Amino acid sequence: MSNVATFDTRTEAKIPVESPLAYSYRRSGAPAPTGKSRVVLRERPFLGHLILRGGAIVLDEAVRQVLGVSLPGEPQGLVHDADGERSIQWLSPDEWLVIVPGGEEFELENRLRAALGDAHFAISNAGGGQTLVELEGEAARELLMKSVIYDVHPSHFPVGKGVTTVFAKTTVILRRPAEDRWELVVRRSFADYTYRWLLDAGEEYGIGVER
Amino acid sequence: MSQLNRLARGGRIDRSRKLSFTFNGKRYQGHAGDTLASALLANGVDIVNRSFKYSRPRGIVAAGAEEPNAVVQLGKTEAGQVPNVRATQQALFDGLEARSTNGWPNVQRDMMSLVGKLGGKFMPPGFYYKTFMAPASMWMTYEKYIRKSAGLGRSPMESDPDIYDHLHQHCDVLVVGAGPAGLAAALAAARSGARVILVDEQEEMGGSLLDTRELLDDKPADQWVAEALKELAGLDNVTLLPRTTANGYHDHHFVTLHERRTEHLAETAPLKDGRRQVRSRMHRVRAGRVVLATGAHERPLVYANNDVPGNLLAGAVSTYVRRYGVVPGKRLVLSTSNDHAYRAALDWLESGHEVVAIADARANPDGELVEQARARGIRILPGSAVIEAKGENRVSGARVAKVDLDGFRVAGAAETLDCDTIASSGGYSPVIHLASHTGGRPTWRDDIFGFVPTLVKGVSAAGGAQGIYATGEVLADGVEAGRQAATEAGFSAASVSLPEVAVRRDGAAVGLFQVPHEKPTLRAPKQFVDLQNDVTAAGIEVATREGFESIEHVKRYTAMGFGTDQGKLGNINGMAIAARLLGRSIPEVGTTVFRPNYTPVTFGAIVGRHCRELFDPERYTAMHQWHVEHGAEFEDVGQWKRPWYFPRKVNGKTETMHEAVARECLAVREAVGILDASTLGKIDIQGPDAREFLGRVYTNKWAKLAPGRVRYGLMCKDDGMVFDDGTTSCLGENHFLMTTTSGGAATVLEWLELWHQTEWPELDVYFTSVTDHWATMTVTGPEARKLMAELTDIDLDKDAFKFMDWREGSVAGVPARVFRISFTGELAYEINVQANYALHVWEKLFAHGEKYGLTPYGTETMHVLRAEKGFIIAGQDTDGSVTPEDLGMQWAVGYDKPFSWIGQRALTRPDTARTDRKQLVGLKPRDAKVVLEEGAQIVFDPNHAIPMPMVGHVTSSYYSPTLDSGFALAVVKGGQQKMGETVYLPMADGQVHEAEIVSPIFLDPKGERQNV
Repeated sequence: MSNVATFDTRTEAKIPVESPLAYSYRRSGAPAPTGKSRVVLRERPFLGHLILRGGAIVLDEAVRQVLGVSLPGEPQGLVHDADGERSIQWLSPDEWLVIVPGGEEFELENRLRAALGDAHFAISNAGGGQTLVELEGEAARELLMKSVIYDVHPSHFPVGKGVTTVFAKTTVILRRPAEDRWELVVRRSFADYTYRWLLDAGEEYGIGVER
Repeated sequence: MSQLNRLARGGRIDRSRKLSFTFNGKRYQGHAGDTLASALLANGVDIVNRSFKYSRPRGIVAAGAEEPNAVVQLGKTEAGQVPNVRATQQALFDGLEARSTNGWPNVQRDMMSLVGKLGGKFMPPGFYYKTFMAPASMWMTYEKYIRKSAGLGRSPMESDPDIYDHLHQHCDVLVVGAGPAGLAAALAAARSGARVILVDEQEEMGGSLLDTRELLDDKPADQWVAEALKELAGLDNVTLLPRTTANGYHDHHFVTLHERRTEHLAETAPLKDGRRQVRSRMHRVRAGRVVLATGAHERPLVYANNDVPGNLLAGAVSTYVRRYGVVPGKRLVLSTSNDHAYRAALDWLESGHEVVAIADARANPDGELVEQARARGIRILPGSAVIEAKGENRVSGARVAKVDLDGFRVAGAAETLDCDTIASSGGYSPVIHLASHTGGRPTWRDDIFGFVPTLVKGVSAAGGAQGIYATGEVLADGVEAGRQAATEAGFSAASVSLPEVAVRRDGAAVGLFQVPHEKPTLRAPKQFVDLQNDVTAAGIEVATREGFESIEHVKRYTAMGFGTDQGKLGNINGMAIAARLLGRSIPEVGTTVFRPNYTPVTFGAIVGRHCRELFDPERYTAMHQWHVEHGAEFEDVGQWKRPWYFPRKVNGKTETMHEAVARECLAVREAVGILDASTLGKIDIQGPDAREFLGRVYTNKWAKLAPGRVRYGLMCKDDGMVFDDGTTSCLGENHFLMTTTSGGAATVLEWLELWHQTEWPELDVYFTSVTDHWATMTVTGPEARKLMAELTDIDLDKDAFKFMDWREGSVAGVPARVFRISFTGELAYEINVQANYALHVWEKLFAHGEKYGLTPYGTETMHVLRAEKGFIIAGQDTDGSVTPEDLGMQWAVGYDKPFSWIGQRALTRPDTARTDRKQLVGLKPRDAKVVLEEGAQIVFDPNHAIPMPMVGHVTSSYYSPTLDSGFALAVVKGGQQKMGETVYLPMADGQVHEAEIVSPIFLDPKGERQNV
């Protein structure tokens, strides 16, 4: 779509950056994982996050061509590319979350815009506003049961699913990219609350934070 | 120290493990496997409490959740205090300390007993009802007094050291109760592959099978229980939750379970692997189907002095003998209306103690258990009942007489039997509490003398919960319920072969509730219906005489079924008595509603982890740590923590808010200040119809806003009232960035989506929240341009980058969009950078800003500065009843826009055109030192008789260091036409402030300062 002001909010210059959890690490600490940690938390900061708005029919071909993956075929679907570094997730009937390695997002946006031409769609950069938090370990599912109202049983939440759900008193996007790994997409301003909640609820599982 | 009532063998306790505990300061011993109640009975403790209203001595009556008397206070330490614990539900642990909740100085010698004996006068039936009615103000006084004298337990005065949490559970089939019906249902559902949760409130699962005399497959029933539990525990699709009470059944099969995880181990949760354990956990279960296998509660008979310690439920006697190896007395009299209760006499006899007699209300009792009792030589008195218990602190005898049930009268001379224990059974009441929570009114069944639950879709009741009592039938009913639930949930039925249970021939029961006495009810010794609330049969009679005919009114009048008891033992008896007095049938009278929670739940479990610093989310901006380190005081704006002001230390003294704000205000007006404005809502709007859409949701015009330009906009609801405002920038022909108030971000986004999705889906436009993506810092003041020039490559020339322009470039090396919008009335640049870079940019600004006097300011200074300029804050100066015209903002209304924008039609109503509407004005106090109170009411004539006509109120009020005067914004009826007139503000303390109505713009009305 023309007549939209694209803007690369990232710079190659050596500028100090702070992930949404930077303050939380300093204030609340980050207990190192031990052999007894039944759940491990890991932030994947500074990834490229784009919110893609548009119908599946409008977007599918361009996404496949530019990102190399098809749009999720069903609601609540999550699809990764071959090396697992790029993903696209269904958020609502015309809303999708694209996560790519940090630095790729602006070029990706431009290529998508070029491929989509005059179609009706929108792309918004959300990379400064959210971060990805991974949970791994045998107690990860029970920790999630303490936190989200959504049913995370494997029969109901298979690999390749993602939902937006209530997390304690905030919301997160919850995804399951692999059998033993869960991802939370957390809004920046709620990141500290979410982090402190996870440390507190995970204490009985000896939660460790990988940095 | 001896457990004089403990049997040498039998029961499910571990005699090799001795546990010591104290009750009311006295040390006792019990065994692992005991409840506090069974251990007290083993030690011959008769009196466990004083009654609530009459202060009568009370003993243990039941063996489970229905216990009304043995409600104790637990806790050795202050922090470990737990009120309202039923001794019958508390597992014994070593070192347990418990006390009675009622009775002062102690339960044996109660100072209140004199008052208690007069209690009928002091707290007559209807006490609550009448004190509530008049005078209402006295209730607090009464309640304090009642609590102090009667006592209902107390909460700890120190912080709870334990942790609690919630677990969100989902299952196909939730089975409540792990007695025969529940175990069978769980097996049937689990074998089909359904996800099953089986929950039971007791220490051990098995329910009635743990103390039954019956054999399953010719083996003791507990062996079958063990096998069933072993199978269930081995299945991945089954979650077993012992010590867990299903306390509330909410809508859509949402059931709250309360799991006591460590309360059987110690007062506070012991460490495990060096880590704190969760003491109690609330399971929030969303179930596909629910099977209620909650069993039945035995009903006591209502006879005179039936509350004297030593009066027990017949079934409880069996439970104490068979499960806990405790015989709570020496000589038993049983009073019953049915066969099943005979097992109490048989169990008692087999324990080696004397059964004095069985008074059976039926003329010709003839069932198998009756035959067994007869064969053992027990004296059976047909057509009789215990009409009165003798004794004060312990039963010393039972007066037994022939009774005429139909005529409700004693039909023969009473015989006094020497005994120390009276067991009674008036039949069984299915436990329908949970089903009642869903709103279904229960149905009375004459054949079982009980209410059965009315069930909503997706719930079934099995076994005792729907009035099926024979063990074999209960098991079969459980299987059927489990199978059906699993099938409905989409699983194929699995087979469950049931154990053989001998079929017992029971004689028919009779309906007996209140037992007649020689004297009329109002003159007979007290016959208790609800032991916990001290409600008597006489109390119910008084209620009906006073005209309370609805059972709901009788309940409130007498307090029957109130509180933690929720009428477990008393309600059906009470209804039956009311029915007899009113000459109606029980179903005509109906039942009251049982409410959650079934038993008391500790607050910790309700709160879970949502406490202390996790009580509510705190939202932080990317510069939060800087604010903390620089001593900011914070203000809550929605969930955001925003710097309120930044007090400095001056000569070793920390500034007051007034001093800090005055300094910050002057810095902005005279040099340069900086505000963290990241919390403003930001919505990215893209699409060819974006401009058209803006024109419809804002009151003003957007057709001609060029890329690179910014405009202020007002938003109305469809009633024409202002609900949010902000600036929107044209980023590209089809691309806009909207800002909203900090608190309104989510509401506005929903509002836009609502109108787009429901009214104007044909418009091609998308909205995405980018609030968190951008960090926003406002650099404002006469020196702002000089500071910016040091850090940006953007051309800051006043003609190249004008007021209400935006430009992109770099600030401190970071890509930025900079907006020349001003909420202070000064030259201002709002810098937006990706939030991950924000702290760097913020710190760079300070590194360069010191020489210009760069001063951080907070929301309070922001409020003063904007109010001096007459800029409104939506939600402070507006309250959902204010139109753009009321605000004097006709300049922001596009009356001639082609499309009917939201609110336009409402603004043509006569009411919104009234000239005497409350309109926004400035107020200048006559006394410059006065800062008017926000919210203060305004009158035109302070000498008018009270009530004075109130004509408006103050919406914002501050001291302005620039004007060196108090000043205010206010809404005043017809105020825009009253410039220069005087209004009055009468205050609560009698002072009357005077103020002049002025323009709301107090400073720089032409806007020259921001345009430089």
